[in-house]
Amino acid sequence: MKKRWIPIINFIVLGIILSSTVLLFYGSRGNTSMQVLIGILLSVLYVTWGIIHHAMKGDLHPKVVVEYLLVGAIAITLIITVVWM
Amino acid sequence: MYRFLRHFFFPHETNNHRAKALHPDTMLVYILLLALFNFGFRYVHRQYPSILGYATDIRLSELLNLTNKKRAGLGLSELRLNAKLSEAAAKKASDMFSHNYWSHTSPEGKTPWTFVISSGYQYTMAGENLAKNFSNSSGVVEAWMASSTHRDNIIKPGYRDIGFAIVNGILNGEETTLVVEIFGASNKEEMIAQKPVPLSSGVSTEALGDQTPLIFFGAPSQEASKSFINSLTSVIQKPLINIPTMTRDIVFIFLGLLIGILIIDGFVVSKKRIVRVAGHNLAHIMFFLAISIALLLVKRGVLL
Repeated sequence: MKKRWIPIINFIVLGIILSSTVLLFYGSRGNTSMQVLIGILLSVLYVTWGIIHHAMKGDLHPKVVVEYLLVGAIAITLIITVVWM
Repeated sequence: MYRFLRHFFFPHETNNHRAKALHPDTMLVYILLLALFNFGFRYVHRQYPSILGYATDIRLSELLNLTNKKRAGLGLSELRLNAKLSEAAAKKASDMFSHNYWSHTSPEGKTPWTFVISSGYQYTMAGENLAKNFSNSSGVVEAWMASSTHRDNIIKPGYRDIGFAIVNGILNGEETTLVVEIFGASNKEEMIAQKPVPLSSGVSTEALGDQTPLIFFGAPSQEASKSFINSLTSVIQKPLINIPTMTRDIVFIFLGLLIGILIIDGFVVSKKRIVRVAGHNLAHIMFFLAISIALLLVKRGVLL
């Protein structure tokens, strides 16, 4: 596979991950614990995707991993704030 | 000021070509501030519910009128407010709070019909709609009408009577406004409830005090039972600040700012062809947009 296709495929995978977890989130309306769990799952998948994506690109650095972890943590905090408030 | 804004929002030499707002230490501050906001809100809500609380205005009279309007629109007969069914609804609500469950059947196996029978209503057919955490009466009825199973109950031609209980309490550790609606039809001529009590005498959270087990159902006198049922005709709370609205506003403003900063940062870096070690802005934007969509779908009101 040509290298230039890799980022495109990665972003398609990210799109699928995001849209399917949002659908799952929608499907669990009324169950706040499940929504928080799906939010955590979404963040974990995103951090994993970020690490794999940068590893494939060849620019994975601890700073990048920390950034993805913090972005995931912000998302979880936001979800808990809205769902459990 | 200009330098600060540039440093915070735009990639520049001063911030190592990454907007300061996107640096790991700043992100950590966001998380801490959000956590502080969470705990702070909960604390203030517990201490001063009249200042920071959940705005609720659900009234029996409105639920009854709206339900009958929906029926009238389909050419169906109006339902009569029935004291026994209201008592059954009140018992059901009390049972849900005291046994901490959100279901048509209690953990002990009590069905809605148990409460209907124990209230003395001899039904030929009956049904139950439940709702929790809606902020107003029309929201409850519209949500029921949008759900096929609940709608079926509201527009069933065979029903003649209806009873309601609207109660505030703690369910699964969460402040909950519960609406129990019970429908029925009977061969006997059932006792029709008196007109709903005036709205001013409705129960508010403050009036219910601690909100835990609401009522004692020993063997109340008929008068006590009647006054109790009358007390469950509305839940009206008007805090100075409505928690759900305030929370959403803050969260969406924050998300909007974050996405905006990511767009600007990505645009400037790509235009200036800056090479740096950082996460992918486009991926972050997609991720935060997905979070925004998910949070837009969060609704407090739930049906059963």
